[in-house]
This record gives sequence, structure tokens and C-alpha cells, in this order.
Amino acid sequence: MKRLVTGAGGFLGQAVVERLLALPNADLRCVVRSAAQAERLREKAAAHPGARLEVVTGNLLSRADVARAVDGIDVLYHLAASLKGSPADIFMNTVVASNNVLDALAGRPVTIVVVSSMGVYGTANLARGAVVDETTPLEPHPERRDVYSHAKWRQEKLFRDRCAHAGHRLIVIRPGVIYGPGGPPMSARVGLNLFGLFLHLGGGNRIPLTHVENCADAIVTVSENPDAVGHAFNVVDDDLPTSRAYLRRYRREVTRVRSVRIPYAGMLCVSRGVEWYHRHSRGQLPAVFTRYKTATLWKGTRFDNTKLKCIGWTPRVGTREGLTKSFAYLRAASKG
Amino acid sequence: MTTRGVKLKVAIVGCGKIADAHVEEVGKLAAAEVVAVCDREPLMAEQLAARYGVPRHFSDFAALLTEVRPDVVHITTPPQSHLALAAQSLDAGCHVYIEKPFALNRAESLTIIEHARRVARKVTVGHSFAFDPLTVELRRLRDEGFLGDTVHVESHLGYNLSGAFGAALMGDRAHWVHGLPGKLFHNNLDHVLHKIEDFIPEDAPTLVARATRRLPAGFGDERDDLMDELRVLIEGAHATACATFSSHAVPVRHYARVWGTRNTVTADYVSRVLVVEQGENYPSAIGRLLPAFAQARQYGRGGAKNIRRFMKSEFQFFTGMNELFRRFYHSIQDDGEPPIAYDRIVRISGWMDDVFAQVNAALPRREVGR
Repeated sequence: MKRLVTGAGGFLGQAVVERLLALPNADLRCVVRSAAQAERLREKAAAHPGARLEVVTGNLLSRADVARAVDGIDVLYHLAASLKGSPADIFMNTVVASNNVLDALAGRPVTIVVVSSMGVYGTANLARGAVVDETTPLEPHPERRDVYSHAKWRQEKLFRDRCAHAGHRLIVIRPGVIYGPGGPPMSARVGLNLFGLFLHLGGGNRIPLTHVENCADAIVTVSENPDAVGHAFNVVDDDLPTSRAYLRRYRREVTRVRSVRIPYAGMLCVSRGVEWYHRHSRGQLPAVFTRYKTATLWKGTRFDNTKLKCIGWTPRVGTREGLTKSFAYLRAASKG
Repeated sequence: MTTRGVKLKVAIVGCGKIADAHVEEVGKLAAAEVVAVCDREPLMAEQLAARYGVPRHFSDFAALLTEVRPDVVHITTPPQSHLALAAQSLDAGCHVYIEKPFALNRAESLTIIEHARRVARKVTVGHSFAFDPLTVELRRLRDEGFLGDTVHVESHLGYNLSGAFGAALMGDRAHWVHGLPGKLFHNNLDHVLHKIEDFIPEDAPTLVARATRRLPAGFGDERDDLMDELRVLIEGAHATACATFSSHAVPVRHYARVWGTRNTVTADYVSRVLVVEQGENYPSAIGRLLPAFAQARQYGRGGAKNIRRFMKSEFQFFTGMNELFRRFYHSIQDDGEPPIAYDRIVRISGWMDDVFAQVNAALPRREVGR
């Protein structure tokens, strides 16, 4: 069975590749952007002599590269997306790239595991502390969210619409905040750095963390289970820390952080002020905070992982242990 | 006869990065509104329309022209398509704003302008810094004789290859910039040259161009052919100029400096301050002490002026673009002259042809490395 991983050079991509290489008779093709990423994957494959790894260095915006990548595959793990850049770039590299992949797969039904995001849920109008499971309606106003969430929402819709017609077996994965050694230090759900001062916005909210290895396990688990086809799955770990506890541990185990706590009600007021100023000044400063965005990030929504557990996934890395390793990595990195 | 008061219907073709700025800046003007956007990739047209609430989006430009019948088309596509899209727009009776560079070369620029004259429609190019308050002030000082005669002009543009635009083109070997005759320079040199052309308005000055590459090669594809440092020396009948484009000099600066026979002025587009260096002479050591304070005072005043403009919401990021749009729309409504004279558009296209011909003739590149 030939498996293709897009975005294989990324933080999550590398972990997924590691898991797939460990499968019996692994036959893997990976798409990466650079020669350096390709080299890293080949080093990982060296530890799995029975596995077959083929690396395609290319760009999913190139139809020729995509055609080469999807040739003869049975399973697609679509992780490629853009986390930063201009809005146009994020859409190009997330949505248009996905469309190119689906075009190249036309007439050849395969199993597709697409990595979406929890940002696709419509959480702004839920009650504080509401629990989001896979039955929660998707975002009704993606254009009011940050560009990344908007692009992920459109990407997931694209897969749903096109896979239904093309006969692909689609499985959607919606991870929370992916963390682990080598990952980002702080989620926006905890807070934001503003000119050297950290605005602590999460307070007592549970941060929907998932360790990168647990998330990779989830992706591989659903792809191996026929019952998962046609379903979406939240991926969050158990025993999640509150934002406050996360920041406390970060301070203790990584580095000092000068922070100020802004409660949710206060953040709504700030957001209202930012929206007003954005309008009043004719866009002199961007509306980085809006009440809508604030509600989606810091209202205290919780995410449920029961459905994923029902098909056999359990978080292999406990949150306490995962954070210890992650913070140790960050501490070492901060010391250069 | 003026048609002011009637909003112009604007359509934007090309939904890449700069299209965001176009939608936002048009939205700040009373004279016009964006009624449709178009991109041959339907998903890109859809996202721009969704994010800004534009009523209609298309992937077929001909369909947009027929169904929407815009008054003005903004072309924000890669330059390779400017000629064809401009012709299509003009034939549909639209006035046309074309993002820089205006066209791939001087011949194409002439073709577009002749076409516009033939169908009695107006065109302009996105030389937005020509309408930045600093440039406007610089021209005023020249016109009032404050500078005296121009002796030399220095125009510099820094570029960040790791920034949003730079990372996009370095991350994609098929990026349209790699297919331009002047590659990276082609997409940026307008901003450097039009500030010089203000002071040396000559069709064929002596022009010497040299390009190098500091970024280490290693992609193994088109990206290894990209030059990232450019120096151009221009010698006119009465003044000289030096144009520099740097992708590696830190900090990333953007300025124009004009040396006159009376005074020298620097327009600093990063700190957004105009600094005048006057030809005053003080005796002995005093002459070494005072200029620094004079400069500090000017930066202080410039900073204070910027704060006042910020308080009045006049310190916008795309001020020059907004002013250019406004003047272009008014030229349409009043049937007046477009904000940028056509001979200037053609002249800069010709200068760019000359620069790229010299740079490309000197290939293979010289590796100066790091």
C-alpha cells in the first residue's frame, strides 16, 4: 500500500512520517519543500531498514509536482498548509494547493486523511465553557476569523465537497494546539506577546493541547480503521492544563515572562475599542482583536475527544510528561 | 464635464497579495467602490470577495467585463499578463490602473498607451510613492527653488528576502517573478527609478547597471539565477543619479536623497521624515558640532508631525497609493489629465529595458558570497 504524506517536512509531518515508517512493509512517499527537509526524512528512514521511502522535493502549487507526487498512491495524508505569510499566500498554500491535489487524484479514488483544525468550529456564539464535539456546527462566518482558520475551514469544505463526488474515502482530523519538542512555545489561546509584555488571556480556560506524537498516532490510527471513513475527529489529549497552570509551568521550567492578566470581559472591552478605532481611523491600525475573534479564542470552549477514543486511540504521551519534555527543549533552545 | 458624485465601479483582476491593499484603499474613497474581483483561480477570487464583502467574484475576466461593466479595472496580476488584460479592459470601455511594473518592456508600454488613446480611455501605473506626502514635499521644494539646481540624486530601496513577498518567491521556483526579464529587480525597480526621473527627465541618459548575487546558490533550479543586489549609475545632461536595490543590507532602508546647488534633502520613507541639510557655514569646530543637532531637530520635528498625522488618522500605510487612486478617479470624472504623464511611464519602461539588458548580458553572475 503506497502512502503519500504532504507537508512531511513540517513539525507534525515529521512525526507522522516516523509513525508510518514503523508500520510493517511501509511504502511511503513524502512531499517536502526543501532539500534540507528531504535529508532529515532520509535520516529518519535509515532507522527503519524494512521501510521504503521516496521523497519528492516540490511545491503543491505546481501541477507537475503534484502529478508526480500522487502517482500510484492508495492513501493520502494531507498535512500541507501555510501557517504564516500574507492572506493570499495562506490561501494559496492551503486551499489552492489542496485543490491541485484533488484535481490530480480525479478518477482514482483513494483514502484521504486531511488534517484540518479546531478553528473550523463555530464557537463564537456558544455558551462559555461549552463542550465542542464533532456534532458542533462549523463556523458560519469564517471570514470573521483569523486568516488561518478561514483557510482551514475552506480547505475542509473543499475536501468534503469534492471527495463526495470523486468517491474518495475521506477522514477529517481536527487537532487542537499541537505541541512538543521543536514546536511553537506558546499558543495564542494562552496569550499574546505585545512589545515584550505577555498578555495572559486564557486564565482558567483548558488549553486544548495535543502532543505531536499523540496527534501523529491519531492520524495513523484513523487511516488504519475502515470505520473512520466519512467521519471527523477532534484530537486533544487528556488531563489538559489551564492556561494559568501552563504559564506557571512555563515560567518555572523555561524562562521568565513579564505578563499581565486580562480577563475575558476585559478582553471583550479591548476588542470593542480596537474595532472602533479601526473603523474610526479608516484602517490606520489593523483590527487584530475583534469581539468575534476573542470569543473564538478565549471564551473557554472545551473540546471532546471521546469519538477518537472510540476507534482505538489513546494519548500515548501524558500531558504532564509531554510538557516536561517540551519545556526542557524550549529551555535548552532559549540558552542557544 | 465632471461626473463627480457618481461612484465609479471598480473591478480588480488578480487576487494576490497586493489586491488586499487595493480593496482597502478604494474602500476609503468616496469616488469609487469595488464591485467585483477576478482571478483565474476561482478559490483566490472567492477568498478576496469573502474577506472584504465584495459583491461578485469571477474566474473569467471576459464574463466580469460583460456582466459587471466596470468603469475602472485595476490590474494586479503578474506583469506577463498586463498587456492582454489592459487591452481587454480598454476594449470593454474601462479605464485601467496597472500595478507596477506597467508592462514587460517599453514596447508593451507604448502599445497599452496607444490603445488607451485610441479608445479615449485613461491608464495609469502604480507608482504609489510618487504621491507619498514625502515625495510631494520633495517636489515642492524643487519647484520653489529651495534645492537650487539638481546635482545628484540617490534612490535606494531595501528588500527583505525573508519577508512576505520575498519568502513567497524564494519558496516557489515557478513563481512569476522568476519568469520576468529583470526577475526580482523587475518587480521593484519602478519604486527606485521614478524618484530619479522626477529630477532627470531624459529619455536616454547614460546608464550603467551592475548586478550581483549574495544569496548562496543551492536550490538547483530557477531560483539560483536570481540576482539580489543592483547598482545603477545614471548620467543626465545636467545631473547624475545612483539607484541601488539591496536584498541584504541591514536595516532595510528606503529613501531618496537629492543634492542641490543650494541645499540637500533626504526623504526617509521608513521613518517617514524629510530631512533638509542646508548649506550653512559655521567657523572651525562649531561647524562640526551644530549639524548633528540640526539633523536631530529635523527628525524630532518630523516625528512630532507624524504623531499629529497619526492622531488625525492620516498616517496610513498606503497613503501614496490612496492619493494616486483619488487623483486617477478624479481625472476620469473630470476628464482631466491622468496623474502620471504617459511619457514618464514609457521613459521608465525604457530605462528598465536598458538596465535588464546590461544585467542579463553580464551573466553568468558573479558570486560574491558571504
